[in-house]
Amino acid sequence: MSEHDHHDHHHAEHADPPALETRDAGSQALAEALHSSFAIVKVAMVLLVVVILGAGFFRVNPGEKAVILRFGKPVGEGQKMLLSSGKFYWSFPYPIDEVVRIPISEIQKVTSTAGWYYMTREEEVTYETMGTEPAGNGINLDPRKDSYVISADRNIIHTRATVYYRIEDPLAAIFHFTAGTNQQFNTGGISNAVQNAANNALVATAARFNVDDILTLDIAGFQDAVRHRLNDLVEREHLGVAVDQCQVQSEAPRQLADTFRLVTAARQSRDKSIQVAQGDQNRILSEAGAQAVGITNSAEAARNRYVTSVQSEAEAFTRLLPQYESNPLLYEELALTKTMPEIFTNVEKIYLPQRADGRTRELRLMLNREPPQNSRAAGGP
Amino acid sequence: MKKNAITIIIAAILLVIFVLLLFTFQVRQSEVVVVSRFLEPKRTINEPGLYLKWPWPIDSINRFDQRVQTFEDKFSETYLADNSIMLASVYVGWRISDAKAFFPKFPGGSAVDAQRQLETMLRSAKLESMGRHNLADFVNSDPSKLKFDEIEKEIQDSVQAQLAKNNYGITIEFLGIKRIGLPESVTQSVFDRMKAERTKYITDAQSQGEAQAAKIKSAAERKAADLVADATADATRIQGEGEAEAAKMLGVFQQNPQLAVFNLQLEALKNSMNQKSTLIFDERWSPFSIFQNLPANPTGK
Repeated sequence: MSEHDHHDHHHAEHADPPALETRDAGSQALAEALHSSFAIVKVAMVLLVVVILGAGFFRVNPGEKAVILRFGKPVGEGQKMLLSSGKFYWSFPYPIDEVVRIPISEIQKVTSTAGWYYMTREEEVTYETMGTEPAGNGINLDPRKDSYVISADRNIIHTRATVYYRIEDPLAAIFHFTAGTNQQFNTGGISNAVQNAANNALVATAARFNVDDILTLDIAGFQDAVRHRLNDLVEREHLGVAVDQCQVQSEAPRQLADTFRLVTAARQSRDKSIQVAQGDQNRILSEAGAQAVGITNSAEAARNRYVTSVQSEAEAFTRLLPQYESNPLLYEELALTKTMPEIFTNVEKIYLPQRADGRTRELRLMLNREPPQNSRAAGGP
Repeated sequence: MKKNAITIIIAAILLVIFVLLLFTFQVRQSEVVVVSRFLEPKRTINEPGLYLKWPWPIDSINRFDQRVQTFEDKFSETYLADNSIMLASVYVGWRISDAKAFFPKFPGGSAVDAQRQLETMLRSAKLESMGRHNLADFVNSDPSKLKFDEIEKEIQDSVQAQLAKNNYGITIEFLGIKRIGLPESVTQSVFDRMKAERTKYITDAQSQGEAQAAKIKSAAERKAADLVADATADATRIQGEGEAEAAKMLGVFQQNPQLAVFNLQLEALKNSMNQKSTLIFDERWSPFSIFQNLPANPTGK
């Protein structure tokens, strides 16, 4: 600044007091305005901070789970990564944190697509509710629509699997699979992968089972084998899910439904014949067993009776022997006389007194050639 | 002074945000990022997190989805080694494993184009691999002869080899057969055969049921006869044991055989005389011998 300018400035300050007062008032007004503005800015900043912090609260809605990505990386590990539905959480504002909402239930369900014939939506509903399958007699399978599997004995059969599974490793199941090329996170990719695994499990398992095993003889074995193969694929393909249930439903081709019904009837008839025979077997063996036990028991009883009888006779013999030996004839006479009344009470008696002339009586017996019918019917000899 | 401090803080925060936006970028969990310097791919980032970069136009960021994407090929006919025809479709799970290699191969890093390329490779690999196998390798009741997994692996290895050869930056994560089938013209003959087999089965089932029932019944009867025969043999044995036991007591009767015989005769007499017996006797019989001393009965028979 030059000396001249300094002089002018100094001169103005002291030479024009009213102008100076006007300038001070302006500065003051400006200062006040700035002060007010700063106050508003401060309030706005506080509000902004409150809004930003408040905006960090979020609720996970029912039927969905959430994952917080912090700088793109999921917060937490394993199941802790998934925020439960129905609860409130807080996260930093974007771009630090990003809340990813995933529509997901506890148990996921997927049905295989390979192996079953085509049904319209109406037919599907009728089948599910009434169990009535759409007519198929006389219609060839259309490979563009109808699906089926080939059994080990090279027969055609329909089968499908309904798989219920849980997400065990969210990182693998949700962040490693996609259903499309968009950047959304959902269960579409893992659902598709599980469905493909179920399709493969059905096709590969049916390829080593005969049609009768799949349909009737070893239904549980086939289902177990499908589930086993599915679990293998889930593990091999690192799907990050756990299969809870794998229900397998199999049907003969509709074109042969009548024939298969006849087979079922024939099988039931055969089983019935065998069951009746087994019933007879049980009855025959039971009766024979009872008869055998009866024979043995009778023999035991007879033996006991015989031994007891001989024993008692021996005892009686020993007791009577002294009497007999003292007078055998008297003993015999007495014993016979004692026994005769007992005999006479039971028998028909004919007394023939001695002839007066002392001669022997001639006795004639009238015997019928054929015994009277009445006496036979009455249990005669 | 205080006002200036607030101003400085706000300015600093804004500056930091601006600098962060210019010099950093995020990689999400599902992404792989290729950082290009002056449009020349320089580095690939697979792990999620916050990374530094030079601002545009020095560095540019290209993002790719590194998640597994699945698709299935057409359900198409294939000739097998035994000249039979089979229809098959295969599903494939693939992902971008080397984004730096993938990026320049497909315009804009298009996954759709990549999938189209994969389908072409898969078709030829499937035809080639399945053509080396018979139908019995696909369906067989003997698990040791079944080559299902082997065929799947052959197709996967073949596609993977082509991808590696062309350096597409793609990895096949898994591959499996989704459907197999027979040509429509063949299904009718299969149905005819199945029907004939079922009809034979029905006849067999009936005769088998009857035969098996007869077998069960005759076996039961034979076993029942054996049971009774065994029981009869046991009874004979028991009877013999009883007689042997009784025989030990016969020594008692040896003391006076006449008395023993008399007792037996008396017992036999009692047992033989029942209500259907008729006994004819005269005065010589005891106790009727008492009549011998009575006067004769002129009307007696």
